[in-house]
Parts: sequence; C-alpha cells; structure tokens
Amino acid sequence: MMFDKEFIQKLQDIQKRYQDELENILSRVPGTGAERKTFSGLTVKPVYTPKDIEKTNFFDDISFPGQYPYTRGVFPAGYLSRGLHIRQVTGFGTAEETNQRWKFLLSQGANALSVVPDDGSGNRADSDSEKVVGLVGKGGVALDTLFDYETLLDGIDMTKYPVHLISTNAYALACYLAVAEKRGIAFGELRGGMSNWIRPETECLDIIEYCARHVPLFNAGYLDMRNVREGGCTAVQEIAFGVATAMAGCDRLISRGLLIDDFLHRITWFVNSGPEFFEEVAKFRAVRRVWARIFRERYHSTNPLSLMCRMHCQTYAPTLTIQQPFNNLIRSTIYALAALMGGVQSLHVNSFDEALALPTEFSASLSVRTQQIIDLETDITKVIDPLAGSYYVEWLTNKLEEEAIRLIDNIQEMGGAFQAWNWMCGEIRYAAMKNQQEYDAGERLLVGVNTLIDEADIQMEALKVLRQHAHFEAIHEYDPSFVDKQIKRLNKVRQERDPDKLKKAEAALIETMKSKQNMMPALMDAVKSGITRGEFAKIKADVFQQPGEGPYVCSPPHVLA
Amino acid sequence: MERVFRVLLSRDDWYHQRGYWVIANALKNAGMEVVLGGIQTPAEIARTASNEDVDLIGYRIMQAAPDMVIKALFREMKVNGIESLPVVVGGIISDKEEKIIKELGVKVVFRSFDKLETIQKQVRTIAIESFNR
Repeated sequence: MMFDKEFIQKLQDIQKRYQDELENILSRVPGTGAERKTFSGLTVKPVYTPKDIEKTNFFDDISFPGQYPYTRGVFPAGYLSRGLHIRQVTGFGTAEETNQRWKFLLSQGANALSVVPDDGSGNRADSDSEKVVGLVGKGGVALDTLFDYETLLDGIDMTKYPVHLISTNAYALACYLAVAEKRGIAFGELRGGMSNWIRPETECLDIIEYCARHVPLFNAGYLDMRNVREGGCTAVQEIAFGVATAMAGCDRLISRGLLIDDFLHRITWFVNSGPEFFEEVAKFRAVRRVWARIFRERYHSTNPLSLMCRMHCQTYAPTLTIQQPFNNLIRSTIYALAALMGGVQSLHVNSFDEALALPTEFSASLSVRTQQIIDLETDITKVIDPLAGSYYVEWLTNKLEEEAIRLIDNIQEMGGAFQAWNWMCGEIRYAAMKNQQEYDAGERLLVGVNTLIDEADIQMEALKVLRQHAHFEAIHEYDPSFVDKQIKRLNKVRQERDPDKLKKAEAALIETMKSKQNMMPALMDAVKSGITRGEFAKIKADVFQQPGEGPYVCSPPHVLA
Repeated sequence: MERVFRVLLSRDDWYHQRGYWVIANALKNAGMEVVLGGIQTPAEIARTASNEDVDLIGYRIMQAAPDMVIKALFREMKVNGIESLPVVVGGIISDKEEKIIKELGVKVVFRSFDKLETIQKQVRTIAIESFNR
C-alpha cells in the first residue's frame, strides 16, 4: 500500500518496542515458543501491520469487485445481485429416491441441484453387472439409461434450477441434453454444469468443445480441486495444481482449433473450505487473482468472462468426526463462513453425519439452514469482500499467490500438468501423510479425537435415541432392495427399445469415435435409442483401447516397499 | 531375521483415496511390503491376493455396501483357496455394518482418526497370528 517513508519508519520504531513486549509476554506462556505454520506450511506471525503489505498496490492487486484481477469477486455487486447457490450433493437409490430428495431440498429453500452417480467412478457398468456388486444406489444414484435421467429430472424446471452432474462422462451429458430436447428446451437456456475434470482424454475435450458450440451457458469444464484437497494437498497446491491443469487442457483445446475465449469462461472450479479460516478466505481471493493474471498474461484472453474465476465450494470433510458427531455442525458452519467471506458462487455444507453415512433429510436440511442463517440473519453477505484490507488477509493472499505461481512454473518446467500428474499425486499423498501424523502427535488439535475426548459421548447417545424412532431416519441406511428395483428399470428399457435402431445408432457412434469426430451428437442419438451406460462404456473401451478407471479395472499391482 | 509381511490394499472407488494412501505409507513405514491393488472388485482382490502371495488383505470400503462386498470377497477367497487369509477393513462403516462384517469374519474395522500407530500394531499382530497358525 502507498505508505510514505516517514510512516514506515515510525511504524518500525513502534513495532520494535511492541515486539519486545510481545516476546516478553509470550516467553512466559507455555507452548507459544514454536512458530505457527498454516496447513499449507506458511509461517504465521502473531500480528500483521501495513509493513507486511507495503508492496501491495490497491489498483493493481485489489481494486473493486468485478474488476480485474477479480481479487474481490467476479461480480460488481457480489451476493447483493447474485445470491448464493445452495447446492447439496444428492444421490442414493434409484432415480426415484434421488428425485424425491431433490424436491425435499428445494422445498427447504435450496436453489441449485447436484447429483452424484453410484459407482464413484461414474457410469462405467450397468447395475446388473458383477463389476458393481455392492455399489448400486449406495454411494450415489443408479443411472443406467435415459429413462433414469427422465425420472431424476421429473417435475424439475431445468431452466430455473442449474443442475450439476457429478460425472466426467459424456453419457451423463447426453442424457441430460436428451431430456431437455424432449421437453422442448433450447440448449441455450441450460445452465448448470458437470464435473468434467480437465484431462487429456478425447471424451473430456469433446464435451467442452461440444458445449462451447451448442450449450453456451453450461459449465462444461471442471477443476475438481476440492477432492484433491480432500486427498491431502495444501491450499497452495489446490490453487497451483488447478491452474496448471486448466493450462494443460487449454493447450489441447487450442490445438483442436478453438480459441481461448471460446471455452475458458465455461471452465469452473470446485474448491474446498477447511479449518484454516483466514487462509481459506485468502485462498478464494488468490485463486481469482492467479486465474485472471495467468490467462490474461500468458494466454492473452481478452474476454472478461474468461478471466472471472467462478467457484462452487464444498466444506472440508477429513475433519468430520464420528466422535461427538454434532460438533461437525459447528465445524462445517465455520468452514461455510470462510467460503462466503471469500465470495464463492455456490456452496455445499457437509452434513454432521457424513463420517457415518450419507446424509438423511434431517441432516441435509440442517446443511441448507446453515447457509440460509448465514445469508439471511447475519451481515456476512451484505458487504462485498469484507476482509479486504486486513493486513493479515492481504498478506496471506499475496503469499498464496506467490507460492502458487512458483509451483505452476515448476509444473510447466516438467512439461505441464498432464506430464507432471504422478509427481502431483505424490505431493498430495506426502501432504496427507504429514497431516495425519500431526493429528496423531497432537500437534494439530481435533476436538473429541485428540483433545476433549468424551468417553460417554453424550452426543452419540442423543443420536442413538433419535434412531429409535421408527418413523424418523436419523442415520441413512442402505436398502438392498434398490438393486432389484434398478435392474427392473434397466430391463424395462432393454425390452422396450428397438434393437435395429439401437444397432444403427451404435454403429454410427463407433464410426464417429474412430474417425475422431466429436462423439456428442452420435452419442445423443444412441442415448435416445436406448443405449445403456455400460454399453457405452464398452464401446469407449474398445475404440480407445483404454481400460479406463472403473471399479472393475485393476491397475497392475505394484509394490510399495 | 524378522519376516517381512506382505499386505494387499484394495479399495472400492475411484474418487476418495486419502486414507488408502496414508495407510499404505503407514504400513510401509512399519516394515511391511504393500501390494497396491487399487480399485478392485471382490473377485479381483481374491485373485490378486492369491497371485501375490500376501499375508493379509486390507480393504477400503467407502462407496460399497460393506456386507455385500465382504460376502462376495469371502466367497471368492474360497474359490482361490485362500479363505484362511485375514481380512481387515477401513472406511466409512456404521456400527451396525461393523457388527455384520465382523460376524462374517473380518478381523478388525478401522475408522477415521484411528491412530496410525494403532493400525500398524494391529495389522502386524493379526498377520503374525495368521502366519503362526
């Protein structure tokens, strides 16, 4: 910031005296000797002053909301004009159960939707396959055919609610578009997006390319850094690995003949928000600044929309505990506060029971209420970027940006993110191990786990009492009858479809994929002809000679010794 | 010389793998050889365990129904003639599910924030017991 020499000199003099006093006091407080490090390894001091952000230039580095480099948010009016999207991940049983849960969440005031399919790797085998034993409708919803997507979206206004498909699979998009087409909805009206991780495979690039040309408001590219963070990485890595992955994807798309501004504005972020409150707020600000700077300076993007980094956030889950489970409500609320102070567009707050099972209606509604209470009852969302100007937060923002850029440059030297993939995975695992060791050693505290342990656990007792009420689902339980119900739905489609029409559509799809044309139009025809997710997965595996990462494909075992 | 135990670690889904890798490293640090099976079906786990001649199977279950995959695993282990191998499980497992899979024959179930040291010791003890039998 612009401080004159005299000011800085005076500050340094006062600080010298203060520092002596501080050290004197702290020397008598046990346990304050060691310097504190954030989860990302940044060393943090007990106090910050204007000197720490001496070089920060308000106009270049902070500016106004909706202005380059978008540190303060992508929209000029923040939440005042664009309310938060309350979007809870949903998916269990068949499409019928998930559709009911969606309607329940909307009745509670959720205003955006998200669906997770049931095999964790998304749509790679049909529900009657040996390959998905135990998985059908368990950790997500079973979606085998277009019929399932029709049921899923039944009674849902697709032009009103943006739907997010948690899938990297072109099959999910084809079904979503086919439902819209059947309802006479123009693709230009469809918002929402999908978890199409930026990766070098044809399928990923086909989805982005197709949407760039035909589904202009759909967020077709995705940086799933939230789950990478769950995997153990630091805030710096979350920024750097995300931006570097986007850069690698952009290089591939540009080599297909697209221009950067044809698609960049439809690549969105999935980010995490965890226990380090201020570091998280600074991270959201730093992500936006790094994104805008890299793509303007290195990719010469000129469309402001492309430079506006938009984010969906889900709160951090590795700290959710089985012990004293209601404490998780408080944890997730604090994480949600950081996300809203950081200006994310869309949010999922984890439910208190997520270390035990999938959320129930009860726990999911509390997640929705958490967001509504912050938004409606407090002043948190009424002032845009409220922590800007805090010496600490501005310093953290600068520091995260600086470290992230250094890491991005390292990755570029390794040949880009796709080349450096294994190295990044190793870094993430190293960070996860270190984090676990810190908890085990009690260097990082977790209430109910390594401090304030309650053997009697009154909270767990309360939950057990709730469970005894027959008409109230206190903890989600998997119903194995989902399997038969889903297989019946699948067989109905198999019996009713026209085999000749399907055969032709499949042949056309194979031909398109072999000739390296965009697979989406042919896939949509195949979907409408009744092709199942498992049949599509098989075609894909045959054409691309890639086993893909399904639960049924084992990477060759290697020994860690 | 002390025997180096071989442990197969497999998991049931693609996305979430933090615990899987942390445990793999912890067991390695405890002097064991870890065979990384990755994402596998119960049939694949049993085949790999047999081919790799491991002393113990560690199965991360988070997405799947624990009772269903454990039943399938024990069936497949029998097919491969390795039904005596001990199986330990970790993941998101409810009390009720834990009880069921232990009755089916799972030796121990680890859940979030069990200390690495405890896991290392318990896995070693189970492997030794099984080996001596």
